[in-house]
Amino acid sequence: MINMVKIAIDAMGGDYAPEAVIEGVEQARDLFEDTVFLLYGKREVINQHLKNRDRIQVINADEVITMEDEPVRAVRRKKNSSIVMAATAVKEGQADAFFSAGNSGAVLAAGLFIVGRIKGIDRPGLVTALPVVRNAKQSNFVMMDIGANADSKPVNLQQYAVLGTYYAERMMKAQSPRVALLNNGTEDDKGNKVHKAAFELLQQTADINFIGNVESRDLLNGVADVVVTDGFTGNAVLKSIEGTARSMLGLVKDAVYNTGVSGKLGGLLLKNGFNQIRSQMDYSQYGGAVLLGLKAPVVKAHGSSKATTIVNTIRQIRQMVATDIVPGVAAYYANQQANQQASVDKSVEND
Amino acid sequence: MTKEEIFNKIAAIIADRFEVDQSTVTNEINLEQDLDADSIDFVEFVLELEDTFGSEISDEDAEKLNTVGEVVDYIAARQAK
Repeated sequence: MINMVKIAIDAMGGDYAPEAVIEGVEQARDLFEDTVFLLYGKREVINQHLKNRDRIQVINADEVITMEDEPVRAVRRKKNSSIVMAATAVKEGQADAFFSAGNSGAVLAAGLFIVGRIKGIDRPGLVTALPVVRNAKQSNFVMMDIGANADSKPVNLQQYAVLGTYYAERMMKAQSPRVALLNNGTEDDKGNKVHKAAFELLQQTADINFIGNVESRDLLNGVADVVVTDGFTGNAVLKSIEGTARSMLGLVKDAVYNTGVSGKLGGLLLKNGFNQIRSQMDYSQYGGAVLLGLKAPVVKAHGSSKATTIVNTIRQIRQMVATDIVPGVAAYYANQQANQQASVDKSVEND
Repeated sequence: MTKEEIFNKIAAIIADRFEVDQSTVTNEINLEQDLDADSIDFVEFVLELEDTFGSEISDEDAEKLNTVGEVVDYIAARQAK
């Protein structure tokens, strides 16, 4: 018998929940025959929308963590919420991964406090794939951390580099992924204290292919496969990429349509081109943001996710489970700690 | 469970979580100042206490716990109830 992948899903999270989540789960169920879905939420509401229960188990969760709830407190108090119950199913081994489009802070807190960190990882970080444009050799890159931790120490950035390397190798099929540190210049001595120390540490880290500092303006050109940054900067950069792309497309559209009849005709001819640009820039095609460094995949999709993004995220989770990213990282850090212990023992012997 | 047993269990959790030698853990150790615990470390520690001793610790109570000794006293008092 094939090994079934089991995904615990918060049916109540997101702007269009539970309808969009359920619709996406049903589409994914029809696409992926080796996957079982555990749907957590208000049973009667889910049942109203569910068309076919094949490989979908509904587990009643009376409480819902809303966007207004304070994350850590909500995760501690609302034990019967869909987020807490779904994360607990992963902790207890009933599911392989946890997925929600709900309250970001609560999803991160549930991942961190319920699913738990891999031994050796100080702080898990959020990773996402972003598009590379106008480069025949590369179609995307990963950036980490995009907002789990506002303050990062150099050692956190070093761990993001290792985690990002695993993600790029196994999810993007990048060979010996180029790791770069996002900085305010490309020279080796650029940046604040944390970045200068992180640069040194990354240079000394075996097992990663560190290529130095990169600037945010070069990211979409494919300057690296793994871009390492603290969560504060990563989040600001991600949002500025999103915002700039949207504004530029708007500007181009205005320019085309404001030039009278000829412009409108030209615009019609360009419509497919515009749509292509939009779909290339739409990073929800790669699924959600993954909180990497935990004992199981924990994935947060955008609050505005519709069924298609839910399906893409489930595809992404299946790939994460199939490529053993979490066991790979856990083995890497177990090995690191064993080596450290061995060198400590050796130095004691030599004393 | 005696206070000594509670202390030993807590010392073992701290040694594992904060990577210190268990023999160096004393009642006087301040979690935030001596172990450099940030808010995430602290919540994780409280959750592990809940799992280990089987009772829930409210946020209000948790905020008052600063030293290892205070944690031991708190758990002992809860178990006596």
